Amino acid sequence: MNHLPQAWGRPRDDVYGAYDHSHFQTAGPIQHTQSPIVTGTSVIAAKFKDGVVIAADNLASYGSLARFTDVKRLRKFNDQVVVGFGGDVSDMQYLDRLLNSLDVRENYSSSDTPMNAKNLHTYLAKVMYKRRSDFNPLWNHLLIAGLDADEKPFLASADLLGTTFTSPTLATGFGAHLAQPILRRSLPDESSVQNVTKEEAVELVKECMKVLFYRDARSMDKYSIAVISKGGVELREDEKLENQSWAFAERIRGYGTQTV
Amino acid sequence: MQATGMLGEDGIHVDMNHLKKGEVNLGTSIMAINFKDGVILGADSRTTTGAYIANRVTDKLTQVHDTIWCCRSGSAADTQAVADIVQYHLGMYGITNNEPPSTQTAAAIFQELCYSNKDQLSAGMIIAGYDHRHGGQVYSIPLGGSLHKQAYAIGGSGSTYIYGYCDSYWQENMSEAEGIQFVKGALQEAIKWDGSSGGVIRMVVLTASGAQRHLYLPDQAYKGPGKQ
Amino acid sequence: MTSIGTGYDLSNSVFSPDGRNFQVEYAVKAVENGGTAVGIKCKDGVVLALEKLVTSKLLKPGANKRIATVDRNIGIVSSGLLPDGRHFVSRARDEASQWRGLYKAPIPTSSLADRMGSYAQAYTLYSSVRPFGVTAIIAGWDSEAELPVDGQVGSGPGVGSGGKKGGSKYGGPHLYMIEPSGLYWGYYGAATGKGRQIAKSELEKLNLSEGNLSLEEGVKEAARIIYVAHDDNKDKEFELELTWISSLNGPTKGRHEEVPKELKEEAERLAKKSLEGDDDDEDEDKMEE
Repeated sequence: MNHLPQAWGRPRDDVYGAYDHSHFQTAGPIQHTQSPIVTGTSVIAAKFKDGVVIAADNLASYGSLARFTDVKRLRKFNDQVVVGFGGDVSDMQYLDRLLNSLDVRENYSSSDTPMNAKNLHTYLAKVMYKRRSDFNPLWNHLLIAGLDADEKPFLASADLLGTTFTSPTLATGFGAHLAQPILRRSLPDESSVQNVTKEEAVELVKECMKVLFYRDARSMDKYSIAVISKGGVELREDEKLENQSWAFAERIRGYGTQTV
Repeated sequence: MQATGMLGEDGIHVDMNHLKKGEVNLGTSIMAINFKDGVILGADSRTTTGAYIANRVTDKLTQVHDTIWCCRSGSAADTQAVADIVQYHLGMYGITNNEPPSTQTAAAIFQELCYSNKDQLSAGMIIAGYDHRHGGQVYSIPLGGSLHKQAYAIGGSGSTYIYGYCDSYWQENMSEAEGIQFVKGALQEAIKWDGSSGGVIRMVVLTASGAQRHLYLPDQAYKGPGKQ
Repeated sequence: MTSIGTGYDLSNSVFSPDGRNFQVEYAVKAVENGGTAVGIKCKDGVVLALEKLVTSKLLKPGANKRIATVDRNIGIVSSGLLPDGRHFVSRARDEASQWRGLYKAPIPTSSLADRMGSYAQAYTLYSSVRPFGVTAIIAGWDSEAELPVDGQVGSGPGVGSGGKKGGSKYGGPHLYMIEPSGLYWGYYGAATGKGRQIAKSELEKLNLSEGNLSLEEGVKEAARIIYVAHDDNKDKEFELELTWISSLNGPTKGRHEEVPKELKEEAERLAKKSLEGDDDDEDEDKMEE
């Protein structure tokens, strides 16, 4: 046995082999988060003539394990902005606290104009870009929905790289593949926004949530949905998917020629 | 330094190289539940290095304040260090603010440590506590450092085997006896199916009357000796 | 002044032979020249009021607010050197945000008062600094609700937590006053600045310790006291600044806010009216100097 102080606290070489001293090296490159752990799936949103509808389900997955089923991923910032979070839940919570402290500081200087959705999107995009530039990204894809300074509908995204987008309809994660094409059928361009009512937009988004539940293996049938318009924010956090279509399974027999 | 773990399509793969060679790992079954009068924490007692059982009577239930406890899973060294730091903070809080810290305060500090050091830690913690104002509360902090308030929480490698058991048998507002039976039944299943869990079942019951330890031994079919 | 010429008043951190720190006492003088500030603890909230002396006709009325918010639920007003007051508030905001950073919850008013008391006291210890030329009143409402940890998700059992002990009340209104020495106490009613003597005797008449005064009555009393304590002979013009913090189900929902225009105007109207009522005896009892 080696009783030298240098060997204290180290596994025995004769049992475990020589100790890998690179573990103690601090000079090498610092590595940060390489992947998210507890994750939320898609967020989807669509503008309509008076505002924006945004939705996300209430599931937080741990790999393929549906670990937490009560995670609310839409955050109301004030009466005209809602942020939807896809990706890592711990980073979502960090951003939630960051927005909270931002709101506290905003409150100190009593200006009469509160932060609008456009301001908040600019801020969050810069936070995301700063973190990716530090090689320590916040593993999220955000949708910022609400009203701009002219009280016009505003919808934009910011992702873990700090990339930003704006469009009449947006979707993150699986939703970008599955929901976005459906949303674009009704809202192909900015001018089409004027033709869509709140009710139509809500119905459209709910339909997309259903498709996502059918086809996204990391989704669930409980979700949150928010409507932002001049009247403020209507946020419902315990919605259940309705009018699902499963009964046709009865007619499905075998996988080709079988009929019984 | 290596990443903490890999998230594959079929679940988390803990990167065993990250656990420094020979490091002690709590391949574990831990849980905490709310019941009518407070909370119950429970854990198995197996600690392994690879397939070798380094300790067969481990105490994974750790006190961080009078009636705030935690269950530790992941690296033994990491979780002990985190628990020690939280214990220090809560001790200071109690003295400087002339009132005991709430379970929320404990959960917040655990979360801050687990989140801001996520790159170097492998720690999965469950925090459970009781205080007169808030009653019993259970919080879960999984690997990335997120914080989840739950009715009951399960964790560690053994927990994956008992999601079904717990979801089926869980009831809100159970009596103490029912709560103990629930925890014991769940941990017995976890120990049965998970090679990294085993040994005795330890529990701590936290209520208005303080902390009460329980012990259940495999050679007594986990029937006793019970309260300590 | 006995201190002058002795040399014991030239440096902070130096006691006089009879155990006084003259720098601190001079700081108190600075406070005594400031506009009157008042705080009242009511049964369902706290009120802060300030006599903001108008030093120039070129200042915009209603601008340059002096009562500051810390976090969301705490207000601070001070009398004395204005820049010292602003630095004090800035420190209080840092303390509150630091608290949130670690504990993920708003700082209790008592803990903020304690930390700010220690901060003020530290400025009496070193020769390289001077004491704060302000006396600050800290008012806060600690939430009576069970607050979640900032950022937490999930909500625990549907039936709520088990084993709660009923009967006790938690949270509520708090009022503290910190002096240049760092000394601080909790008060039912606190006053500082020029008109503090009159204000204090008016506060005493309210029997605040009985805890019957409602928040709205408190607002009106605070406005009246500022008007009563105002010395027309010395200071011509002043602006009244009024803020309040109510319970969660009250008008401000636990937040520190300005008293709404209508109520403030009503309070000022009543204050002026009460002054007209006892105009005669006001000339008689020559106010204190």
